[in-house]
Amino acid sequence: MEFFNSYILTLLILTPVVGALVLALLNKEKAETLRRTAFGFGLLTFVFSLHLVARFSSGQSGFQFAENHAWIPAYGIRYHVGVDGISLWLVILATFLTVVSILASWKGIEKRVKEFFIFILLLEAGMIGVFLSLDLFLFYVFWEVMLVPMYFLIGIWGHGRRIYAAVKFIIYTAVGSALMLVAILSLYFLNARATGVYTFDFPIWLNNIASNRLWIDPHIQNWLFLAFFASFAIKVPIFPLHTWLPDAHTEAPTAGSVLLAGVLLKMGTYGLLRFNVQLFPEATRTFTPFIITLAIIGIIYGALVAMVQPDLKRMVAYSSVSHLGFVVLGIFVFNMQGVEGAIYQMLNHGISTGGLFLIVGMIYERRHTREIAEFGGLATPMPRLATCFMIITLSSIGLPLLNGFVGEFLILVGGFGASIARAKLYTSLAATGVVWGAVYMLWMYQRVMLGEVTHEANKSLPDLSGREKWVLVPLILLALWMGIYPQFFLRKMDASVSRLLNPPIVMMVQK
Amino acid sequence: MVPLNYFLILAAILFSIGVIGFVMKRNVITMFMSIELMLNSVNLTFVAFSRYIQNLSGQIFVFFVMVIAAAEAAVGLAIIVALYRNRESLNVDEADRMKL
Amino acid sequence: MFNQYFQPNDILIIYPELLLALFAMGVMIIDLFLDRAWKVLNAFTALVGIAYAAYALYRLKSNALNLSGYNHAILNDSFAIYFQFVFLIATALVILISARYLSIEGENRGDYYALILLSLIGMNFMVMGIDLITLYIALELMAVSEYILVGYLRTNRQSNEAAMKFFLLGAFSSGILLYGISLLYGISGSTDLRVIAQRLAERPSHDPIALVAVVTLTAGLLFKIGGVPFHQWLPDAYEGAPSTITTFISVAPKAASFALILRIFIVGLKPLETSWVPVLSVVCVLTMTLGNITAISQSNIKRLLAYSSIAHAGYLLLGLIAGNEYGITGIAIYFLVYAFMNIGIWTLVVAMRRKDLIGDQIQDMAGMIYKNPGAAVLMLVFLLSLAGIPPTAGFIGKYYLFASVIQTHHYVLAVIAVLNAAISLYYYFRVVVVMFMSEKTDEEKMTLSPGVLTSLAVTLVFTLLIGIYPEPFIRFAQNSLSLFQ
Repeated sequence: MEFFNSYILTLLILTPVVGALVLALLNKEKAETLRRTAFGFGLLTFVFSLHLVARFSSGQSGFQFAENHAWIPAYGIRYHVGVDGISLWLVILATFLTVVSILASWKGIEKRVKEFFIFILLLEAGMIGVFLSLDLFLFYVFWEVMLVPMYFLIGIWGHGRRIYAAVKFIIYTAVGSALMLVAILSLYFLNARATGVYTFDFPIWLNNIASNRLWIDPHIQNWLFLAFFASFAIKVPIFPLHTWLPDAHTEAPTAGSVLLAGVLLKMGTYGLLRFNVQLFPEATRTFTPFIITLAIIGIIYGALVAMVQPDLKRMVAYSSVSHLGFVVLGIFVFNMQGVEGAIYQMLNHGISTGGLFLIVGMIYERRHTREIAEFGGLATPMPRLATCFMIITLSSIGLPLLNGFVGEFLILVGGFGASIARAKLYTSLAATGVVWGAVYMLWMYQRVMLGEVTHEANKSLPDLSGREKWVLVPLILLALWMGIYPQFFLRKMDASVSRLLNPPIVMMVQK
Repeated sequence: MVPLNYFLILAAILFSIGVIGFVMKRNVITMFMSIELMLNSVNLTFVAFSRYIQNLSGQIFVFFVMVIAAAEAAVGLAIIVALYRNRESLNVDEADRMKL
Repeated sequence: MFNQYFQPNDILIIYPELLLALFAMGVMIIDLFLDRAWKVLNAFTALVGIAYAAYALYRLKSNALNLSGYNHAILNDSFAIYFQFVFLIATALVILISARYLSIEGENRGDYYALILLSLIGMNFMVMGIDLITLYIALELMAVSEYILVGYLRTNRQSNEAAMKFFLLGAFSSGILLYGISLLYGISGSTDLRVIAQRLAERPSHDPIALVAVVTLTAGLLFKIGGVPFHQWLPDAYEGAPSTITTFISVAPKAASFALILRIFIVGLKPLETSWVPVLSVVCVLTMTLGNITAISQSNIKRLLAYSSIAHAGYLLLGLIAGNEYGITGIAIYFLVYAFMNIGIWTLVVAMRRKDLIGDQIQDMAGMIYKNPGAAVLMLVFLLSLAGIPPTAGFIGKYYLFASVIQTHHYVLAVIAVLNAAISLYYYFRVVVVMFMSEKTDEEKMTLSPGVLTSLAVTLVFTLLIGIYPEPFIRFAQNSLSLFQ
């Protein structure tokens, strides 16, 4: 148990990698064995991640379960991982959605099953690594590693213009992360020049910044901030850098869309919260109005564009732009409610949008189309699916007692109470996004599910299978849990978020 | 005594003629001769410098340049012969099996 | 008198090269007595020679001799030894993949290996020489052997053309380089780089002759590494040469030329830094950008890799522009990495050459994952490494070069470089798309000879190992820092 506690984070990263290696050794003809093995490893990782929740101590604001080993000592590069209240739930989200997407791909993926699950597991390792890394070099490594499996997931198992979408995805992300690399290296040398210590260690950097040992000229800070921001904003995506997202989401296979929307987008917001805000306090203040404006444009633009999409998946994709706008808004209002709301909304979005993509995927498997016009009255042949769809739609809209409400509510409360100029105007504008969200989601639901069955082909569609229930029910239960008893989740964030907002003058550096 | 600059300027002119010849001419043999001209202008520079600064390294260098030029000529002409056998033309513009 | 010029130490410090020369002659002699079926022994002999030379080199280091010899014409410092190891590794890998390829082409003779070994000797002296005479002879020894090797397929028109272009431009660039050398000699009165540096430092900084010398030297050296605007010969030579020779010249001579550039610029021309850094910065940006952008539109894998190697030369120039410890270590480690990843990918290109299929179009790789899954995955690893995606070795190399220019505050260069690296993903992944996402067009599978398999195994292991645990390799590459002493 002792071993387990001290190496749990490494185990989390390595289990999927081992799973991928095991899969690579299996016979590629035995699809069922491959699926079960992948599911087994996904589940194992998820169980390990639950151990984090059980052992996580809520009172502590620092990084827990930290592991810190020399990796490339010649240049002060370390394998430093740790988890705090901000990353804890995101890790759980990643492990949870991986299990869900493996289950969801059971029937949908018929060709090249082996490679598919290998890439899913490698992607999981990359995602977990990004959330856990505390060494910026390590962070960059995971950030880049993750691109490749996602590229293949879209490129091989996607639909229609899959290669175009995959290339667009990778080029956008690579350009962003390239700029981030320059910024990371600049910080590395700035820190070394100021303190004489060559390190990429994030807590040490933070400590140096907080204690003013590392003072970065505001002008340089602005550039560094923008370089990090470019990388994260592309990932989130913040308007106007979102154009890769609809293509990637639409063409990706269901599991790809779920992980892309559910986890990968959160890396952008996580990065903003973790690195931009904490490393560059002055620059953050300078750019806040600008970023909030972009976030609000994103909220409204995403909602309006989602409304007119004829394609279900594209609609959900644009709704992501809108929802992530809320998250960004929450981060940049800088108070307890806003930031916790933002983190909470990241989780909600993972669950609700993940759920929506799953349902769209299920409908697509039955009808092989995603055109909203092709549907209508699907509730008649598929009542169970309709119920699940309804709950998840409501969760996405933010109905009270469901998860989405808590997140949006906290962000809006945070916005109204924020100590920035024109906070109330901004927040009111953002609040209209909630209304727009309700309009397009419900309208979509009505057109797809309600009314008479207009197409002959839709009449005899089978309802949810046993496996599909197993995919959706956990999501719905979670949505309810998070809506009814958010305190369970928020409690673990409190300490870390409050430290982020009020950094102590000198923090303890964990050796 | 003839001033150093005279030699240097002559060498520079010869060198430029070599470069221009290499760039303008399209016959492999002529291009090759231009290269030889360049090498000889270099030799002239070396010898002139060597004489004026009373240091022998320059003259030794010239020997090596000549030896290597001979080796290059042997290899170069062999390549040209092989090319001619296969193609019966020595115009570089016709060496177009690969797009540029 | 005699003792003053020929000391035992002199012989000892060039012992590895003497061995190589011996084996080069040996291969040619043994070849005379071999039947057609036994020609593979030539490769074996050459490999033994390289192994022996590597051992001698290793011993040389531990024997702690005076590393300077031949009246200060040669300096076998740890910088030189490091690069010699890189050459030996690269040459050994190339020899491994040559035997099968040559017998398919029907040109399996011993002089091939002898020429490779001679070229290797030239490269070794290029990194050891500190005197311009030695450097020039070494450079020519390497180059002349390469001219012959590029045109080795005598009856193949493409090979002839490639050899002719390579030869003409190579000789032309040597001429330009020599002119620069002659001017340097004129202003400093010496051919020893260290003396030249002293004399240059004493002279006024804006000296027209010194400037002309720098410009011609730079132009001549840029030819050798394929820097824009002196890169036109490179794609043709790469495409037309026998694939194994392309593998060779894309790695070892490039590393040697770069080591030569480092010696000349960092040791000899350091006092003129302010005049060559801006020039090289422009060349560096042009080289990276043009290489990457032209690579996008290539349909032939050899040409694509040729342009990619031009782009890589651009990245390498970053290290020289920075000129600090990070930069030099970066260049050193990059060539070690480059030796593995580039030889790996070229080995696969070589393996695709079968009896009646040239196999150098990107389309020939369609659906490779179905036909040769192992080869496709290997290709993927090497492509990712070339693109600089972690956890492959290429990332470590790029990281160092980018870090070096950031350390010296060349932020604009750094940003252009990283954006270039992002662009390069586009064409590397175009190959990936063809391999993994297109349907196969034929059923013909690759057959891998034992030599090719060995080479692939070695390159794969090191490409991944350097990416995941680079520490020992970085320590090894830091040997090159003796350049500053």
